[in-house]
Amino acid sequence: MNNTTKTILGVIVVVVLVWAGYAMYQKPKSENKTNQTSQTKQTSQSGPYKIGVLLPLTGDAASYGEPGQKVYQMAVDEINSSGGANGQNLQLVVEDSKCTGKDSANAMQKLVNVDKVQVVIGGFCSSESLAAVPIAETSKVAMLSAASSSPDLTGKSTYFARNYPSDSSQGAVLAEVAYNKESITKVAFIQEQTDYPLGIYKAFNQKFTALGGTVTKQEFPSSTTDFRTVITKAKAENPDALFVDTQAPAGAQRILKQLAEAKWKTRLIINDTTAGDPKTIQDNKALLEKALTAEFGVDSSNAKFQLLLKNYKQKFGADLPFQSYGQTEYDAPFIVRDAIVAVGYDGTKIANWLHGSVNNWQGASGNVTIGSDGDLVGGHKAEIIMGGKVMPYTK
Amino acid sequence: MEYLIHLAIFCAIYAILGISLNLIMGYTGMISIAHAGFYGIGAYATAILSYNYGMNFFLSMLIGIITSMIAALLIGMVITRLRGDYFILASLGFNFIAFSIMLNWQGLTRGALGIPGIARPKLFGLSFMLDQNRTVNLDFLILSLVILGLIYVACRFIGSSSLGRVLKSIREDETAIQVFGYNTLNYKLLIFIIGAGMAAVAGSLFASYISYIDPSTFTVNESVFIIAIIILGGLANLKGSILGAIFLVLLPEALRFIGFPNEIAGQMRLGIYGLLLVILMLYRPQGLMGEYKL
Amino acid sequence: MSIVPQLIINSLITGSVYALMAMGFNLTYDTAKFPNIAHGSSAVVGGYTVFYLANQHGLNLYASIVLGVLAAGIFGWLCDRVIYAKLRKRKATSAVLLIASLGIFTMVEAGSAVLFSSQFQTLASLIPNQKIFLWHNLAFTEIQLLTFIASIAVLLLAVCGLKFTQFGKALRAVSDDAEVAKIVGINTEKIIGSTFFIGGAIAGLAGIMVGLDTGIQPTMGLFLLLSGFGATIIGGVGNVYGSFLGAVIIGFLENFGVWTIAAEWKATIAFVVIILFLIFRPQGLLKK
Repeated sequence: MNNTTKTILGVIVVVVLVWAGYAMYQKPKSENKTNQTSQTKQTSQSGPYKIGVLLPLTGDAASYGEPGQKVYQMAVDEINSSGGANGQNLQLVVEDSKCTGKDSANAMQKLVNVDKVQVVIGGFCSSESLAAVPIAETSKVAMLSAASSSPDLTGKSTYFARNYPSDSSQGAVLAEVAYNKESITKVAFIQEQTDYPLGIYKAFNQKFTALGGTVTKQEFPSSTTDFRTVITKAKAENPDALFVDTQAPAGAQRILKQLAEAKWKTRLIINDTTAGDPKTIQDNKALLEKALTAEFGVDSSNAKFQLLLKNYKQKFGADLPFQSYGQTEYDAPFIVRDAIVAVGYDGTKIANWLHGSVNNWQGASGNVTIGSDGDLVGGHKAEIIMGGKVMPYTK
Repeated sequence: MEYLIHLAIFCAIYAILGISLNLIMGYTGMISIAHAGFYGIGAYATAILSYNYGMNFFLSMLIGIITSMIAALLIGMVITRLRGDYFILASLGFNFIAFSIMLNWQGLTRGALGIPGIARPKLFGLSFMLDQNRTVNLDFLILSLVILGLIYVACRFIGSSSLGRVLKSIREDETAIQVFGYNTLNYKLLIFIIGAGMAAVAGSLFASYISYIDPSTFTVNESVFIIAIIILGGLANLKGSILGAIFLVLLPEALRFIGFPNEIAGQMRLGIYGLLLVILMLYRPQGLMGEYKL
Repeated sequence: MSIVPQLIINSLITGSVYALMAMGFNLTYDTAKFPNIAHGSSAVVGGYTVFYLANQHGLNLYASIVLGVLAAGIFGWLCDRVIYAKLRKRKATSAVLLIASLGIFTMVEAGSAVLFSSQFQTLASLIPNQKIFLWHNLAFTEIQLLTFIASIAVLLLAVCGLKFTQFGKALRAVSDDAEVAKIVGINTEKIIGSTFFIGGAIAGLAGIMVGLDTGIQPTMGLFLLLSGFGATIIGGVGNVYGSFLGAVIIGFLENFGVWTIAAEWKATIAFVVIILFLIFRPQGLLKK
């Protein structure tokens, strides 16, 4: 390669690097003009309080991230129009965590180091939260998740708290109802190989086998489309119930369709993401008749929740999807606002406040109490599907 | 500034991956779509040993290198004797199988749950942790650059040694050099093992830096990305691989700042390096700095 | 054990899809002498064309399928015309062609994700009230039956076409020795182009059938391609019966693998067998 080409290439590389660096410096709104690179805490009233947000805006969980962002923004707008926190506005800084640990860690690095936030609402997927927590700890930034449900996050760090319940409650509740109330002693699992379904399986398995039942499991990687033989095998095991444990409703739909084609009618158990999708329930109502599920449900008599539904519909022209997340997502910015008002814009103080001072906090998701382990107290409630509708389980 | 350091660390990691694959593909002419598998072995070795036993980073990296090399030995013994197209397919198969193992062997790798909380390196009492009292991550960047430098020098040495000459002859015309009495199989196997060991180093760095890994990072797409890096940079040119790594790591960031909507930015990155491969093959198969035209 | 017959049916169904992929792949591999990774993309193109026309624009299902197959074929032909032919003219090695096809494959995957979202989509809504057959307690759907019939039909067409038509003879000549064929007066470029069209069209059909049966997503191309490639290796490159046989074998391996070992290892099992064939019997089961 001759010298001219080399020079041209060198110039291109330098230009790209300079441009990237320049663009980077333009981005953060409140630039710290001193050359200090250590964490500066924004204790002075020099601008709005920045709240980091980790959400899956692209990738498999994008259908959750997109309405989530709208709900967060709606909540923050309401907070700001009613005086903000101590007279200062809140400002969301949203980063795409793509429902993977690697991208979440990337995004968290950016929020913590470039935008210098003191508190982050997120992650959504548990893998996002798990990856971001070590970064939160060492940078002393508080995290509040409105959706991560992995049991691994319980007591994970003094810097992590959540207003959404752990899946250990979902698994335990289902196991209990299935064994004690419905006399189901053998359950076959068809479980997707991602963290959320795996977590539910573990929680269910632990409780169910402790009660005396047996559980068999078949796992599948997310790219699987052909479940015929998996279903054939599960059918041959003759279980009392089949647990369809997928990451998202789309996966469950696939399996349910092939179940129908295999002409196998059996008692079904589904997890809360599937239960939270009315279309899937409606389309498969024959199969799902008397199916068991457990959701961190919504309380339609809750005034704040009703207001949330109404405002969302008015503002965005559609019904709020995934309501059990919508309610906690709506509450999260308000909880953070209260924290800032109580102890100031400081990561460690906010984290401690979240672990000790959220007691009977009234929100759209009901009565919120966060324990000293960072977990939401109380959780999933058992439900049963009748006539294409999910209703509370009573017996 | 911090974010630039963050990007630079990624450039260093991918540069190591690029250089190590270049030994296999550029110098010896073996097109391997297996590299992400060895990358993963190194990452998981460090992750598992650090998470379960609190092992020192450098020790876990060493174990990762050895494990990766053993895997490369076993796989290599089987597939390096395959001719061209078949070697490629077999290497792809290995990557797939490695990914499945990472996903399914939950007792070892925790499967889809991933391994969180991987510790940063500690050397002679000096810790590379995120610490708010000094420039965050700069220490880790320096460590990565030092390691990159060492690997670069090693590859340079291999390239200009008699081993390097044999490898290039294998690339140009394998049968010819066999006539001269060289056991080409042994040489191919050797470089395959060396490349795999270096990829494991990159894996250990990655695991320790991000502090969380799961199988989704080590897919066939990642192997294709590494191939794109060295083809862009130029096969058999080490400096080119570093350049290629810098370019392809920075490209999506640059795109993001132009203002591509978030929803498609991720896919655009994928599409662009696909396009890059096609254009390079059509108009400049020797890459930016290459000496070797595929 | 009463479950074995159902497993056999499942294997045949899986095998039929792979057979469609394999027969098309075999055609282009044998003629153009390099593994066309973008073959998987033809399946994606076919599936998404039908999705676009029928789901999003309400076009008649049958018309959409015909257009989908055509689109996939044209896509295959375009890859050759625009990219592979140019590379062939420069006497590029098969490695270069392979990497170029890898690039195309990646672009199509990214493109379909951008246009149609990376979420899984189902075409099944286009055929409500599908008949489900229950024969001696074995269950299979109309679409699955049609897929099986289609694969047999393509097999027969391919075999007859290669043996009895002028085009088939010319194709065999090109795959035997392209240089000699050129000397004899055969327009090798046109033949190769047509081969990519036909191969692409068959792959497109496979993608559409998979879409109607289970669904489509941008990443589906890879696994379909690998199954087609693997089936070709197992069956023997250059032999159409071979690719069909290889595909059925992979179908059986997968389904019986799920039954005897576990669902999560199904892809690994298929790959291990393919690698074993590469080592011990690279010429495949059936001779050319």
